[in-house]
This record gives sequence, C-alpha cells and structure tokens, in this order.
Amino acid sequence: MKKDIDIKSVAKLAAINLTETDEKKFEKDLNIILEHVDALSKMNIEDEEINIHPLGEILNLREDVSSEFLTHDEAMSNSPETEDGHFVVPPSLD
Amino acid sequence: MNMVPTIGIETHVELNTNSKMFCNCAVVETENPNESLCPTCLGLPGALPVPNLKAIESITMLALSANCSITKNGMFHRKNYFYPDLPKNYQISQFDLPVGVNGSLEIILNETKETVEIERVHMEEDTGKSVHKGSGRIDSATSTLLDFNRSGVPLVEIVTKPVIKSSKEAVSYIEELRQLVIDLKISEGKLEKGNLRFDANISVAKESDNELGVKVEIKNMNSLRSLEKAIDYEIKRQTKLIESNEVIIQETRHWDEDKEVTSSMRSKEGSADYRYFSDPDLPNMILTDEFIDNIKKTIPTLPSQKRDKLSETGLSNSESNYLSKSEEWIYNLFLETQKLTNDTKSTFNLITGELQGQLRKAGMEKLPEWLTSEKLSEIIKMINENKISFTSGKEILTNLIQNEMSPSKYAEDNNLIQDNDSDEIAKIVKNVIDSNKEVVERVKDGEEKLVGFLVGQIIKSSKGNINPSIAKDLLLKEL
Repeated sequence: MKKDIDIKSVAKLAAINLTETDEKKFEKDLNIILEHVDALSKMNIEDEEINIHPLGEILNLREDVSSEFLTHDEAMSNSPETEDGHFVVPPSLD
Repeated sequence: MNMVPTIGIETHVELNTNSKMFCNCAVVETENPNESLCPTCLGLPGALPVPNLKAIESITMLALSANCSITKNGMFHRKNYFYPDLPKNYQISQFDLPVGVNGSLEIILNETKETVEIERVHMEEDTGKSVHKGSGRIDSATSTLLDFNRSGVPLVEIVTKPVIKSSKEAVSYIEELRQLVIDLKISEGKLEKGNLRFDANISVAKESDNELGVKVEIKNMNSLRSLEKAIDYEIKRQTKLIESNEVIIQETRHWDEDKEVTSSMRSKEGSADYRYFSDPDLPNMILTDEFIDNIKKTIPTLPSQKRDKLSETGLSNSESNYLSKSEEWIYNLFLETQKLTNDTKSTFNLITGELQGQLRKAGMEKLPEWLTSEKLSEIIKMINENKISFTSGKEILTNLIQNEMSPSKYAEDNNLIQDNDSDEIAKIVKNVIDSNKEVVERVKDGEEKLVGFLVGQIIKSSKGNINPSIAKDLLLKEL
C-alpha cells in the first residue's frame, strides 16, 4: 500500500537538508516503515488493556527535595561563548 | 452587521515547588544566571527525568478544584521544537492524556455568575529565559543570551474552551484562576513575576455565520491591563478586516505594550507540527483512587465557595467577589464581624473602605492582633445606634490601628458620645435660630441649601456631640 508522504515537509520539520536523491531514497524507506506499522492496525486488540510503555512500568515519582548538582562554572565549562554568566547563541530567526 | 468575538485563553501557572519538575535542582529566585543546573535541565545526553510528586499533587488539586475529570492512566509526551531556550529540543508536556479534562470555573462578571468551560489542565516544564541582544525582540536580535535557571520549573497549562465573549470576561477569568492557585497554595500567582502567563486565541465572526472565524493567537501580554487592551485591539482589527471583506490570516501576533497594537510574529518555523510522541523515559503515570481521594481531602475553601458563604450574608455578587479575592484575613474578619453586628452593609463598608484604606496609609499589611472582630463590631454598633458619628468612628479606628484600647472607652474619654437628649438639643437649636435670624428668614423663603449651614452651626455649638440627623429633624420642626 502506497502512502502519500510529503518528504519535503518531513525534512523541513526535521530541520535537515536533503538532495533530490536523498528525497527519493527516504520517501521509499518511509513508505516501507509506514506499511509495516500499518499492519499493527489490523490486529484485534479489543480485549487488551491499554499499555503505553513497552515495559508496562509505572512511573516513579520523587519527593520534592532540592539538591545541588553542577556549580555555575561546571555548567558553563563546555560553552564556546559566554557573557555575564549566560550562554551565548547566534540569532535564531532570520 | 453584528460581529461576535470568541476568545479562548491558555494560561501557564508556575508551581511553587522546592525543586524542578524532572530533576532535583532548586527552583531559585536569583538575578545570577545559570546557578541551578544539572544534566537533566540542561538537556545533556543520557540524563533521565524523574517527576516531582509535589507537582503532580498540585496539578491534581487544581484540576479537581476546576471541576475536571481526572485522567487516572495518563502519560507524558515530547513536544518537539527547536529553540535556543529549550536545550533538549523538546519540551516534556502532555498531549492526549492530560491530568484534567472538561472542567469549569465560575466567574463573576459585573453582578452575574458566569461559567468558563475548561478544556484541559496539563503538566509540563518551563523553558529557559532568553535575552535578545539588539532590539530586545527575537526577530531582530544580533545574538541571544541564555539563562537556564527556569528550565524545568514545573508549569501547569490551563486551556479554556473558546467560550469567552469579551476582554472583561477574560480578565475576570484570569483573576479567578489566579485566586484559585493562591488559595490552593500551589503557586505564588504573581503576574509581575511571571508566575501566571497567558496567551489569547481570538476570532471574530458575523453573527449570521454559524461557525467560528479564523483564530489568531496573541502573545506577550504581561498584565491584566495588557490582556484587556490586546483583546479589544484584536477584536477591532479583525472586525475591520471582515467588514471590508479582507482575509484574516491564521497566525501568532505579538502585543506591543508601548504602541498598544498587535503585530505579526515572523516566525521561521511557521505553524510547524510539534510531532508529539510519548516520552519513552517516562512510563505510565497512574493516579490511583486513593491518591485522588487524599488530594480531595486537602482542598481548602475555594473562591466560589467563599462567595456562596458571603452571599448568604446579603452581599451582592460583586461584593462577594471582591472579598473572595481579598486576603484570607479580610475574608475571615468580615464574616466574624458581620456575625456580631448582623449589619452586612456597614460591616462591608467599614472593612473594605475605612479599615483597608487606613491600613494602607499606615503601611501595614496585616491587622494588629488586638484589632479583633469584637472591637470592630463595637465601633459599628456605636455608629448604628447613633452613639457616635461616622467621623468619630473613623477616628476611633485610626487610634485602634495604632494602640490596643476599648472603642467605647475611647469614645467616652474623648467626648465623642453624641448627645441624643432632645431637650438639650432643642435648647441649642433655639439659640442657633435666634442668633441667625437673617439666614432663618432666607430658609423660610425657600433657600433650602442653608439648612445645612444651620445644622453645621448646631453641631459646632455642641462641639460635635450632637447627632446631625436628630438636630436636623428638630431644626426643621422649629422652622
């Protein structure tokens, strides 16, 4: 079953640049994945309980207690550019 | 052509937990950037989020108080978008299984009770803070400075259905929500500190159309005043476009506080899909019946319940609304004092007018411990029984705020007790008439204004100890 995939829009959402060759390749690959996943919708799961997590685990919650992990200097140490204790990044919009 | 505006509000409430939503970093109030950080809230690879129990308790309490159904088998999703203040490139949020759905909040609009329907209440995390260098606005920044102290602070998002019809109703709704989170003690609820932040979705349609118009989202409203102005502006803008048959574009617009206009935000991502998917780091969140019942037991008196109680004393809806949004001690003081005086109007006026005004003037935030409902009711009763004038009541209150004392004893010691003995007043009235013959003649000729002057003369001769209404009655009888 062939799905309609707008590969340009998917690439845009993923913020990646694709060549025309890439586009063709990924369109084909994505279609195979979608067809595979489509098989799941044919399963009869009426009697199954909803399970969101693959391991069926239940979320652990922690007490609201604070503790220190990184010092300011440690937190900043990998940053290529800092200013007045801030991380500096280039402008994010054109 | 009649136009109908429809508004939906999204509000983010910052919870007042000690630690962040998914890590142990302290929630800090500091001017120093990047002080409270760890691999989780910095989005470093390999870090695992563990949710804060207190935050889940707080949102459950809010959802229950806003009459929502609770999702017992819920979960977290990743909301993906690229933005410098979001270091993981996704925000942990909730999608189709939020903690609360289908709720409502009662608000008072003018004198009427209205209901604002709530679509969902969900849990998420805050982003870092950006400072855009250059213009201060993102679309013309030269570079951006980032502070991640706020990154990962627990946020609750409350989304209304598109049911709000005016800017005034929107403001009332935010005021109600703000009071609710303060009364539940789950947030400081301070707008100026960004504890409560809101966006508005506004559409306008012709009354004859049976569907909603094109939705425009307004951001960057930092106060109730700007919320009201931005909504009014946007309704006018869209109405004009419709009337001149122009197209309204579905977009996000930025409220400019100084120019008092909304302008289109030229966002590079446009209306990109957030590609929500369930967060594999966070398994099913089960809220058991026992958990929910325990939260229910801790819910204090809600603003709407306060109003019901206040209305029973005979206060109007807007008066009850005012007290339900005052501090707890004012609300309690009113109820206790009203019980003693059984006079709702005078008690309301004295507490919300004189008392609050005088406390403000004296720079006091709380009532001194000796200023009890008994003392207040003593003053109100003396005024009501004409033992003292309202002016004397105010004088007693001024002194009572500063010193512990008995109002009735103060009134006696300072000659504030009014003379209600008619024979005594009659003598003074006669003296005033005799010594103001010319004025009396003019009153008799129809210059009724001058009655006030004569009453003033009577009160002056009695050194303020005569009840003005009795004096006036006797004077008019003599004339």
